[in-house]
Amino acid sequence: MKRELGMLGALVVICLVLFLSNADFLGQSNAINTLRQISMLGIFSIGSGFVIITGGIDLSVGSLVGLTGVIIAKISSQATGGGGHSLLLGVTVALAVALLIGLVQGLLITKLDLQPFIVTLAGMLLIRGVAQTIVQGGTLSLGTSPILKLANGGLFMVGGDPLVPWPLVIFLGVIAISTYVLHYTVLGRYIFAIGGNREAAAYSGINVRRVETTTYVVSAGLAGVAGVCYAAYIGQMSQQVGVAYELYAIAAVVLGGCSLRGGEGTVLGIVIGSTMMRVIDNGINMFQLRYTDAEGIRRLWRLNPNWTFVIVGAVILIAVVLDQVVHMVQAAHRIRAGAPAAGPPPEPKAS
Amino acid sequence: MAADPDPEHASDLLVMRGIGKRFAGVTALSDVSLTARGGEVLALMGENGAGKSTLMKILGGVQPPDGGEIRIDGQAVSFDGVGDAKRCGIILIHQELMLAPNLDIAANVFLGAEGKRSWLAPLPRGEAYERTAKLLARVGLDCPPSTLVGSLSVGQRQMVEIARALSHSARIIVMDEPTAALSADESKRLFAIIRQLRAEGVAIIYISHRMEEVMELSDRIVVLRDGRNAGELPRAEATTDKIVALMVGRDLSGHYFPARPDPPPAGRETLLEVNDLLVPGAPAGITFNVRRGEILGFAGLVGAGRTELAQAIFGVTPARAGSMTLDGKAFAPRRPRDAINQGVYLAPEDRKRHGLVLKMSVAQNTSLPDIGHYNRWGWLDRRTERRMAQAEVARMATKTPTLETPVGSLSGGNQQKVVLGKWLAMRPRLLILDEPTRGIDVGARAEIYRHIAALADQGIAILMISSDLEEVMGLSDRVAVMRERRLVGILERAALSAERLGAMMTAAVKAAA
Repeated sequence: MKRELGMLGALVVICLVLFLSNADFLGQSNAINTLRQISMLGIFSIGSGFVIITGGIDLSVGSLVGLTGVIIAKISSQATGGGGHSLLLGVTVALAVALLIGLVQGLLITKLDLQPFIVTLAGMLLIRGVAQTIVQGGTLSLGTSPILKLANGGLFMVGGDPLVPWPLVIFLGVIAISTYVLHYTVLGRYIFAIGGNREAAAYSGINVRRVETTTYVVSAGLAGVAGVCYAAYIGQMSQQVGVAYELYAIAAVVLGGCSLRGGEGTVLGIVIGSTMMRVIDNGINMFQLRYTDAEGIRRLWRLNPNWTFVIVGAVILIAVVLDQVVHMVQAAHRIRAGAPAAGPPPEPKAS
Repeated sequence: MAADPDPEHASDLLVMRGIGKRFAGVTALSDVSLTARGGEVLALMGENGAGKSTLMKILGGVQPPDGGEIRIDGQAVSFDGVGDAKRCGIILIHQELMLAPNLDIAANVFLGAEGKRSWLAPLPRGEAYERTAKLLARVGLDCPPSTLVGSLSVGQRQMVEIARALSHSARIIVMDEPTAALSADESKRLFAIIRQLRAEGVAIIYISHRMEEVMELSDRIVVLRDGRNAGELPRAEATTDKIVALMVGRDLSGHYFPARPDPPPAGRETLLEVNDLLVPGAPAGITFNVRRGEILGFAGLVGAGRTELAQAIFGVTPARAGSMTLDGKAFAPRRPRDAINQGVYLAPEDRKRHGLVLKMSVAQNTSLPDIGHYNRWGWLDRRTERRMAQAEVARMATKTPTLETPVGSLSGGNQQKVVLGKWLAMRPRLLILDEPTRGIDVGARAEIYRHIAALADQGIAILMISSDLEEVMGLSDRVAVMRERRLVGILERAALSAERLGAMMTAAVKAAA
């Protein structure tokens, strides 16, 4: 939990600094929009977390987010290029396709013993290509489809904005269910055991292949759910939707304290990691400094938005470096203390 | 020892008959039979590759046999997976401990035992912790069940494995070299638990290379050789020589350890002098010297600080204080390269992780530490590389199909020969051997011993760390004993005895404090 607390502290400080520099950061429209963004990223990051905790990786997430939206637009949109069928049909087909892709990738990885990186890399390219083919290189508008309300609507409407947008409601549901599954059930225990020592898990009689396959299905399924939200949020689908999102997910998961070696991580951590990613992204637009220039004119200094990736990359690096330094200091303390068993458990624990 | 008067196998809990197994065309087991009774300790012995592990994996449901039958209580059984075997009360404790370091003790003990529970069922937490606490008390491990396994020592993890076996109310427990990483105290506790289990009617199949353990514990000894039954001895008739003869198929006694020059090469000049060297983590400095052509053994329990000392001399973890001289010149390696440049080499304890690149070939491994030597205008001189590797393979009599064979596919003994060969190619002055025969067969051991002795005869100084007392006593000119990261004494060859070494290694000789 220590790591989560540290990240939470850093997050609060960042929010405070942003609020002090620009009160609009917590203004109604920006706050709600940021919440919506956090929720959509968080939904599929948690899915990625399932895979990463077993020691795997899923690179197809971003393409799946895109494909889901494209399928919905193709089937349900009333606008040109759409099929005009019911929204229910579109969403159902889209989610079914996502789950099916997850299942196929999972089976390829576990049954044929292929490397997850390669399988999901191929999946990422292939799925992106399919989405591109469906939109024929252009865009598909969702027109005035009722699905748009999913992004704009929510609970407790104030003026035109919901205080709790629907994506946040979905996100909270995903958090609750995944916390239960990952930290309180037999399946969750299996996922951590596989990430900690695959062989030990297999020799304990755990059906490692089935558990791993399940994590890829969960990842793809949650990418599909996020894809539905993004479709509603953007309103028109192009081949660009969801590009590089798998990397955002991995970044959020790692920021949240999961190890890519597997066996470590919490849902809470992933939630904090996703929030961090989006707050920084939003903060780069919001941050401003007031100053008076030489002629006595009050001016605003803003961050150049081109720095976004520089800052996001730096934050991730700083987080993992700090984490590693803490681990090394703790290890040194243990050695000085003598027997390795003497010290308290060194790593944050999920329970 | 309850001798069973019944000649028929009436009381046989387990009967394995005619078991065969082939891997990719290679016969691992052929027509192997084995019986075990409740309330007996059956020692299963054989060289590496004799088929012990394969037989036990078949028993544990890890692999299916190609042929033969397994009966438990007279009932024919077949296992589809580890779970099936567990339900029949068969528990395997592997040599590489099968624990998840990121989970706590209770989670590891009950891992997989969730059994029929649905995946989405909640974990039984409180109950699991209570039962684990009781099991830990039984195996004498004084840790709360919520302790992370990753923070336990290897010996403590072994106890967790045993607690897990007990949790299954096992009827047959297979232990594969369980004492390999245990201290003397931990081994004693393990033996007490084994005897208690035997008294409770559990059949224990005990795999070990350590003769004295087998002699102390077992009721019966079954020996495998080349995937077949080589013979069986009741404890009363077993002697070390008889067992070894069955294992290797020939009589080895007499020339197991090569002769050392007598009197020892004391007159020769000192090669390495170590003065008050403070190894990181050690409470005090260490002082000793080693002469040219001398084998200085290092005895001690696992964790006595011998490996750390070796790493300090080799520059892996430089010493904090003190000094060393090599041939009278100051020697203070900050990294392995410094030591290598001075002709000081280390053959590490964990061959597979630190000594070799398993996926690379015999030739590539041999040339690796001195790769610059094979540099011709930026190209790797493969002809010279091959020639040098060929010479070392011939010198060490390494059994390898070709020089291009990946080292990982050789046997442990031959892997060790490659490790020795790669350093020999560079004309060492001082060779540090950390557990040179760990995991190596009896037959191959004798050969490694001969090589080590031959190296010393050529004037190379050798520091040999070993937890095998027989080996230390048989091969060393002098033996340094370490305990709790201190050097507690150096014995001349004439003064060596197992009792004296054992007493020095454990705290039996109380210090004035």
